[in-house]
Amino acid sequence: MNKFTTALTAGVLALAPLSAIAADSDDPIVIPIHNWSSQIVMSNVVGQILEMNGNAVEYVTTDSQAVYESVRLGDVTLEMEVWEGAFGASFRAALEKGGIVDVGDHNAVTREDWWYPMWTKDACPGLPSWEALNDCASLFATAETGDKGRYLDGPVDWLKHGQERVEALGMDFVVVNAGSAAALWAEIGAAEADKRPIVVFNWTPNFAEAVWPGEFVEFPEWVDGCDKDPAVGPNPNALYDCGNPANGYMKKAAWDGMEAKWPSAYAILEKIDFSNPQIAEMAKLVDIDEMEPTEAAEVWLEANEDVWKGWLN
Amino acid sequence: MTAENPVISCKNVWKIFGPDPEAFMKTMPEGMSFEEIRAAGYIAGVKDVSIEVHKGEMLVIMGLSGSGKSTLVRCFSRLHDITGGTITVEGQDIMSLSEKELIDLRRSKMGMVFQSFGLLPHRTILENVAFPLEMRGQDKHTRRERALEVIKLVGLEGREDYFPRELSGGQQQRVGIARSLAIEPDIWFLDEPFSALDPLIRKEMQDEFLRLQQMLNKTIVFITHDFDEALRLADRIAIMKDGAVEQCDTPDQIVLHPATEYVRKFTEDIDKARVVHAGVLAQAHASGEGEPQDAGTTVHDMARMLVNDTREMIPVHRAGVSIGAMSRKAALDVLLGGDS
Amino acid sequence: MTVASTTLPTSLRSFSNAQIALACVAVALCLTIVQYLGLLPTWLHRLPEAIIPNFAAVLDAVFNFVKDDLGLLAFTRFLTEGLEWLLDFSANIFFGKRRFPNIGPVPWTAVAATAAVIGYYLGGWRLALLGGGTMVWTALIGQWEIAMQTMSVLAIAAPLAFVIGLSLGIAAWKYAWVDRVIKPVLSVLQTLPFFTYLLPAVIFFKVGPTAGAVATTIYAIPPMILMTTLGLKKVSPEVVEAGKMSGCTKAQMLRHVYIPSARTEILVGVNQVIMLSLAMVVLTAFIGMPGLGAKLLAMMGSFKLGRSFEIGVTIVLLAVMLDRMSKAWVIKLPEHFERDTPIWQKHSMLLLGLGLFIGFTLLSLVVPFLAEVGRGQDFSQGKELDNLIKAFLNIEWVKATTGFLRAFLNVQVLIPFRNFMLSIPTPAFILLVAAFALALAGRREALYALVFFSLVALSGWWDRAIITLYSVISAVSLAALIGLPIGILASRSNKWSERVLLVCDTAQTFPSFVYLIPAIMLFGITDVAVIFSILVFAMVPLTRYTIEGLRNVPEEMTEAADMSGATRLQKLWSVQLPIALPTMAVGFNQAIMFAFFMVIIAAFIGTQDLGQELQRTLAGTDLGKNFVLGICVSLMALTFDLTIMKWAADKKRMLGLQ
Repeated sequence: MNKFTTALTAGVLALAPLSAIAADSDDPIVIPIHNWSSQIVMSNVVGQILEMNGNAVEYVTTDSQAVYESVRLGDVTLEMEVWEGAFGASFRAALEKGGIVDVGDHNAVTREDWWYPMWTKDACPGLPSWEALNDCASLFATAETGDKGRYLDGPVDWLKHGQERVEALGMDFVVVNAGSAAALWAEIGAAEADKRPIVVFNWTPNFAEAVWPGEFVEFPEWVDGCDKDPAVGPNPNALYDCGNPANGYMKKAAWDGMEAKWPSAYAILEKIDFSNPQIAEMAKLVDIDEMEPTEAAEVWLEANEDVWKGWLN
Repeated sequence: MTAENPVISCKNVWKIFGPDPEAFMKTMPEGMSFEEIRAAGYIAGVKDVSIEVHKGEMLVIMGLSGSGKSTLVRCFSRLHDITGGTITVEGQDIMSLSEKELIDLRRSKMGMVFQSFGLLPHRTILENVAFPLEMRGQDKHTRRERALEVIKLVGLEGREDYFPRELSGGQQQRVGIARSLAIEPDIWFLDEPFSALDPLIRKEMQDEFLRLQQMLNKTIVFITHDFDEALRLADRIAIMKDGAVEQCDTPDQIVLHPATEYVRKFTEDIDKARVVHAGVLAQAHASGEGEPQDAGTTVHDMARMLVNDTREMIPVHRAGVSIGAMSRKAALDVLLGGDS
Repeated sequence: MTVASTTLPTSLRSFSNAQIALACVAVALCLTIVQYLGLLPTWLHRLPEAIIPNFAAVLDAVFNFVKDDLGLLAFTRFLTEGLEWLLDFSANIFFGKRRFPNIGPVPWTAVAATAAVIGYYLGGWRLALLGGGTMVWTALIGQWEIAMQTMSVLAIAAPLAFVIGLSLGIAAWKYAWVDRVIKPVLSVLQTLPFFTYLLPAVIFFKVGPTAGAVATTIYAIPPMILMTTLGLKKVSPEVVEAGKMSGCTKAQMLRHVYIPSARTEILVGVNQVIMLSLAMVVLTAFIGMPGLGAKLLAMMGSFKLGRSFEIGVTIVLLAVMLDRMSKAWVIKLPEHFERDTPIWQKHSMLLLGLGLFIGFTLLSLVVPFLAEVGRGQDFSQGKELDNLIKAFLNIEWVKATTGFLRAFLNVQVLIPFRNFMLSIPTPAFILLVAAFALALAGRREALYALVFFSLVALSGWWDRAIITLYSVISAVSLAALIGLPIGILASRSNKWSERVLLVCDTAQTFPSFVYLIPAIMLFGITDVAVIFSILVFAMVPLTRYTIEGLRNVPEEMTEAADMSGATRLQKLWSVQLPIALPTMAVGFNQAIMFAFFMVIIAAFIGTQDLGQELQRTLAGTDLGKNFVLGICVSLMALTFDLTIMKWAADKKRMLGLQ
């Protein structure tokens, strides 16, 4: 692999215009890595691009919520995937405290909501409407939930308000919280074997779309204030009576000292912009083709030269 | 024995174990018995012992387990701090020594052999023997030379690079002996050195030990629970019970005149004829006729002569000089066990 | 005992422990019945919110004061720099991180060869095969770099834990007051859930390898301290006296007499340090430690069962290798060489190792495959294993069995049991625990139980604590139902004992969270899956100690039973089991400790207990809450630990086994 990057770096450096704006610091740029594939590959892709730019890069594995605190302190330099739904709160909190900057959006939308794999639709043809789902509730019943259907929500600390929504919309579902993303996949995997209907929390972009084709349940459309004002949404007396926003942002974030310390790298970061299909492809290289993230990044760079060439200074 | 100052002298030594021995010692009423002390929650390891060890002498301390003999010898080298009384070694009060002085004393004057050998398992024989020299800071070359010399002395040549566990018990104790001799100590403590060995080996080691002692002529304190061993080796024997010395005398005297009932019990099954020497039976002012006996001859060795001879009094010589005469009847009494 | 009896009113002394325990149970029963009748005032059922002190806020304030005002953070961050340098150094050697001294990474073939030579030196061909084989497997399966990331941290954390543990152990042995201070701290440390180590580590030592190394070190220190003190105390008095009579100064005594003589215990400590470090270094993936653990988490996060399993196998192999090698080192005794052995022969192993190391390093310059297994060259069978595992889980009878178990256990047993435990009023529950401690151990333990559980009640996390306890009790009971018969059966023959013990060893080192995914696939996100994953872990010590207890029954006793004409069952029931019982109790205790450990990890499946809250704190900076939760777990575990260990010790003394 080293040979490959060296060759690539040499090639790119030869092509690169010699007019670098100001010299970047020799200190390594620290890129955080989390526990889902697209983010890992994207971070590696960006890392390799920055290496071509002549920067030293280092990766550190961190928690995806705690990372914003680390960015603020400068322990890590940037964050490639800031999801509105999942990390918006942590990101905004960090912004308020200062030390972190918003480096713009990717051309990608994120969405998280109730989701089902395609085989579920065979048993409950009315989907994706939430009323239809509610009518089929008994299909989703398990030994523990009696007549009611079971909805598998994300870990409690993701604060997805599944319980509140069930109550607000009067659904015949019992909400069970999984302890981790892995637990969600395990349940879908187990259901896949005998095509058992299942409805779980899921989000996009992630690898699951490629493994298990599926759809999001269509709830009453998100209206601003649905989580703050009971009057908003179909149930005038309850919060969380809408679906989640169907097109959340995905941002890039950086330590506020980055621009001064690595001006050239920062300029590249500002230009970097991935789309949903590109992100899905990165995830696929690891999740389906079983590559190591570094390899996947190399492969992706090789295949998509036209995408990233223009970002280099 | 000799007029010069004793090498070790202890006066009214007490060693008490328990929660606060010093305080207990101060308030303890005079003449408290071992049991009474125990009832008070203390153990009298050494109880009012006064004893002297002279230069070149082998004092054997004999007693059953728990009698305080090991404790006493550990007081001599200040492995235990005593609770009361004084112990002087070559005129120095050892309780007044500083840590450094004490270490110096042990490094230059004392050697000790232990019942279970006390070898350091991770060191070779050579390194074990050289250990005291190393501690004293001697350079590698000198200490190796000296260690090899002592190893040869105890007959372990060629085993220098073995580890203790690779040797038999008897050989391990030879290592222990060699180690204790490495610094050429003046005073040699041996704490039941042969008790852990098989009877046959024990006998062999005793012989070996006597051979060494003849060569080295150290001042020795030897501990044993084996009365036969004590008789065999000792110049003088101190018999201990419950921390106190019951009797301290030569083997002959102990056998002939046990001071207490306790001591007498030990002597009961002993073949006194093998212990008692002509020299002890000799009466200084008496005289006899005919061929003299050497003072060092045991009654057992004179048995045939005693039975066949008709003399009333038999002259006794030591190193060719007359020291008196012994009564044949007294000697026969010893031989036939009649006087007890 | 003295503490308890002086604080108890004298009137209590006239009652026997059993009577008091019975009284406690009676009161608890009454309270519960009243509660069921709906007559119990709510403040007696659960502590009212109002009187629950905000420990978390107080602790946070204390932490902040210590951290910022006392400058602890500055100090630890200063330490971090040094630690980081060390970690970077080993990272460079092991996997070529671009840091000083910039000579790494060492080619995998060179490491494998060296491991084989070390194995051979310590334990002959079998260990050589294990050492070399583990490394070859790791490289060929394509996990070399991540394994070396893990090893590079282990290589720093384990020696650190060793040095600190040894020093503290010596201090505790030398000064009684240090011992008195350290003992309770160690007990708490050993029962504290690992999530509680992690957060402070991150805050004080920066996210990533430094925090991971610190957490690992702290986790591994306690057994080193215990083994050091144990070893030093066991040095034969004659050896000590021999040292003194050789004129050793105090320093010389320690260096030349005590420590070498305590070699065995110290090395056993080293073995435990290595094993605990390895276990922890995998778990520190939760706070961003790269390496096998992080990869495992990532694989689980993308539902790759096969790859997860392969990583699990690598971890087991590494653990078994390190375990066997360090154990072989414990019993390895120095051998003498005959006189005039040439120097190269004396050091033949060292030379061979060096030679192979250099040889392979040079060779790998020419043959890149020997330096690094490159892209697409590994032999990972992730996908095939995936299918295999999924196929297994999909077999009809497997599904039928687990389906039945899930429905039956969950609906008929577990949920009712949980609801029952939750329905018991807090004071009644505390009384029950105290009665348990009193009946089994004594008044001192009962007092501890009373205080500890009251503290848990005061922490405000009572319901979650009870759910935690419910998982532990259910899992350990089920584990006993399965583990004890296996142990009893296996102990009947040497061969089977060995086999089962080997399985126990392996199961214990297999990274616990690999079990979780199959558990979920078998039982869904339910309490059954949680209990199942704990059970797998808790069964190990139960089985192990049952075997050891039964096999260590003195032979005269079984022979005496045989000669008295006892049948096998009679012998087991009236001779072997009673004598093995104290040892089995130790196993039982360890099973409970393991269960408390695992129940926290099981939060990964989805629980509503303390573990889930703890896991949640990891993402933030809630040190106070994290600590309160950790202490709750620790207090409950300690109550059982103290009670059962006291009972086992009493029993042993009664049987004259000590």
